[in-house]
Amino acid sequence: MKRERFLGKNGKTAFLGSAVLVLLICYIDKFHGGSAWIPTYFQHVLVNCLIAAILALGLNFVSGYLGQTSLGHAAFYGIGAYTTAVLLKYTGLNFWITIPIGLLLAALISIPLAMASLRVKGQFLIVITYAFCEILRFVAINTAALGGTAGIPGLKSPEIFGIKITKLASTSKGGYILILFLITAAVAFFAWKTEHSRIGYAFSAIREDEIAAVAMGINTRYYKILAMVISAVICSIAGSFQAVFASMVSPELLNATKSISIFTMVVIGGRRSIKGMILGGILLTILPELFHSVKDIAGLPFDPWMILYGFLLVFMMRFRPQGIWGADKKETVQTEEE
Amino acid sequence: MLVFLQQVINGLAQGGIYSLIAIGWTTVFGIVGVINWTHGEVYMLGAYTGYFVTTYLGLPMIPALLISMAAGALIAMAVDQFGYKPLRKKGVLAATGFITALGISTILRYTANAVFTVNPKAYPELVEQKLITICTISGQPLTISSLHLYILIGTIIIMVCLELFIKHTLTGKAMLAASQDMQTLGLMGVNAEKLIKVTFAISGALGAAAGFFIGTIYAINPTMGALAGLKGWSCAILGGIGSITGSLVGGIILGIVENLTAGFISTGYKDAIGFAVMILVLLIKPSGLMGYKFEEKV
Repeated sequence: MKRERFLGKNGKTAFLGSAVLVLLICYIDKFHGGSAWIPTYFQHVLVNCLIAAILALGLNFVSGYLGQTSLGHAAFYGIGAYTTAVLLKYTGLNFWITIPIGLLLAALISIPLAMASLRVKGQFLIVITYAFCEILRFVAINTAALGGTAGIPGLKSPEIFGIKITKLASTSKGGYILILFLITAAVAFFAWKTEHSRIGYAFSAIREDEIAAVAMGINTRYYKILAMVISAVICSIAGSFQAVFASMVSPELLNATKSISIFTMVVIGGRRSIKGMILGGILLTILPELFHSVKDIAGLPFDPWMILYGFLLVFMMRFRPQGIWGADKKETVQTEEE
Repeated sequence: MLVFLQQVINGLAQGGIYSLIAIGWTTVFGIVGVINWTHGEVYMLGAYTGYFVTTYLGLPMIPALLISMAAGALIAMAVDQFGYKPLRKKGVLAATGFITALGISTILRYTANAVFTVNPKAYPELVEQKLITICTISGQPLTISSLHLYILIGTIIIMVCLELFIKHTLTGKAMLAASQDMQTLGLMGVNAEKLIKVTFAISGALGAAAGFFIGTIYAINPTMGALAGLKGWSCAILGGIGSITGSLVGGIILGIVENLTAGFISTGYKDAIGFAVMILVLLIKPSGLMGYKFEEKV
């Protein structure tokens, strides 16, 4: 099996290269006087990119390796964020302990959804996942303890080895960049390992031909639930960090637009491609910000990004349905047919 | 008991509107096999067409309704022409249709957002609003709003026309046959493309009618299509995909259940109940209340 290469380099080189870049971004302003070279806004966007990349890598287990469409992964993102927020607010628990609790909860809640994916497929699974996330959003809006539409504001920044994350680097965002970069790298490594393991091959077999997979003795039930649980756990980790990074949670996290955006990161990046996931996450975070500033500069009364986003999806499907870094065309078409 | 009955009656009109949306979903899905995610947007644009012709042209209810239905039909046909047809020609609709639909729906919604602005708009009063007493139970009147009555009657007329069209015209019969086996139908010499256009036109017209009706009751806004579209899909599933009667029943049930939830449990969960019903139906009896059993797709 050929290893996935990143700009002609293998994963280790890519990791080291981007690690140097990240360290530069975080610390360069400490070593020279005068005004900062890297604007805080840029670092803020970078944190959002990393969170998006983690989400896309998470959904990739379901939508990429297993080939099922889910429009409800904001649900797990929201569960992670809300668990962290509620525990921080009401129990004052350490942030690092809230992450495993959040991911346990996300894993538990993902099991019924995985059960549903065993019974229905394709188009019907899409609406089930979508509706599932909408229901959670209504629960968040209507539960007083979760803060209703306003959400839970004022979450404190966590500490690591006794240092606040916001104090870790030269700006308040730097610490988050470092930690999320490490998590993204770990998740990408995990995805890569899984892809080239017994589990990954089982996923491929199910994706390519489920009946043949059953005939070969693959326990499709177990693997489908496993994929859903893994992706739920990864998305919930991203949610926990989002909660403390934004220092608040709101039902907006569970918005259907968020789910759709996670799904399109996977599609645009190229299903099953790890670098594609990271690229998809970065693109779909930077482009909206870019067009938002275009809107501000040009003084447009509306945000042009969402319209362009629609066109992007339509043209992508027409001319490159396998995504930017996806596998070749023929294979994708075969696998996606329900 | 009286309160209960009153809530049921209040839910009827809303239910009729859901049924109209649901039929639009189910006909397209039955024949083209794609979840037409743009349907909610056609509904929204239908509502806006109704708003413009009633406000600026001062048209009365029935011509305005017909115009917005025509507009809805045109929009839906355009969506098919520019969105789905090229993919169908390439034979990749199954794989890419849904994301294309998502894209077109985003384009339509946010263009509408840019053009019409986010501020909600309200129709002028088209019919005199009053409460009509149906009967009195132990001295308490049971009432229905005149507006709701008009909507119910309008919905029923549209449904009857549709039923007659499908049962008694050749095109209608071909549509029915297409929902069961498109390929064989092609072999019988039916022009599939034309049939698909007719299907989209009907779907769009019904969606726009639903939007027009909702506009006569509530204020309209460019993002109204997302939730309503999904609810229509829930009704279609509840009633059974491919069944028009099923969509009618599903829509009425959802309308009533929503109103009862709002009246007796909590208004906040009103919108969630439809989704919960949909998930349960899909998991327990995917063929819905009245649908024929569709082939399990692996």
